[in-house]
Amino acid sequence: MEVKVISPVDKVLVQIKGRVDTTNAAQFQEELTFIMQGDMKDIELDCSELEYTSSQGLRVFLMLQKAVQGRGGKMVLTHMQTQVKEVFDITGFSNIIKIL
Amino acid sequence: MKKRYDPISGKSGAIIEDVMATPEVDTLPFDLNMRIRLCVEEVVENVVQYAYEAGAGYMQVETTLKNGVWSIVFEDAGVPFNPLDKEDPDITLSVEERPIGGLGIFLCKQMMDHLEYNYEDGCNRLIMEKKIN
Repeated sequence: MEVKVISPVDKVLVQIKGRVDTTNAAQFQEELTFIMQGDMKDIELDCSELEYTSSQGLRVFLMLQKAVQGRGGKMVLTHMQTQVKEVFDITGFSNIIKIL
Repeated sequence: MKKRYDPISGKSGAIIEDVMATPEVDTLPFDLNMRIRLCVEEVVENVVQYAYEAGAGYMQVETTLKNGVWSIVFEDAGVPFNPLDKEDPDITLSVEERPIGGLGIFLCKQMMDHLEYNYEDGCNRLIMEKKIN
C-alpha cells in the first residue's frame, strides 16, 4: 500500500495504490489523518491503482467521509476498479460516499 | 489442502498470504480471488485477534475445490464464537448514522454462496462455500 499526496493546499488530491488490508489499515489511517484533522473542503482520492480494500480499509474511508462532510466539505473517490467498487456497493458505501 | 498455524498471535498477514498461495485459491480467476481474499482476511483476523484469551492457540485452514464448489473450513479451539449470529448492519443509514466497522462478516455473507458454523469437540468451525462457474 502506498499513499501519495499530490496537492495538500486548496484541493487535496491523494493517490492510493495497492491493497488496504488488516496489515496496513492503521498506517493508511495515519497517512490520511491530515485530511481528518485539517480544514480542507475539497478532497479527491484517486483510486485508480487501489486494488483491494477489506473492511479495515472501509473503516478509514467512512471516517474520512464523516470528517469531511461534518465540516461542510466534499470528498470524491475517482477511477475506482470494479472489484473495489463491488465492496463499496455491497456495503452501501456507494450511497454515502461519492464515487466518480 | 489442510494447513495448521501455531502460533497465530500477530501473524494474520502471513497466514492470509499462505492461504491465498494454496493451489485451490491461487489458480482462481482474479475477481473470485479478490472476493475470497476478503473473506479469508475477515475470518483469519477475527480468530487471531479474539479466539484465544491468553493469546496462544492454533488455527487450521482447509481449502478444497470439488465438483465446481470451492470451500474453506476454518477451525480453532478458542472461545466459542459464532460470527454468523451477528446482526447484519443497516446499509441504508446516512453517513452520520453509520457506525465505524462491523462490516467484515456481512461482506463474507454477501461474497459467498453458503456459510455454516458449528462448535464440536471444543472447536469453532466456520465453513464457506462458493460455486465456481
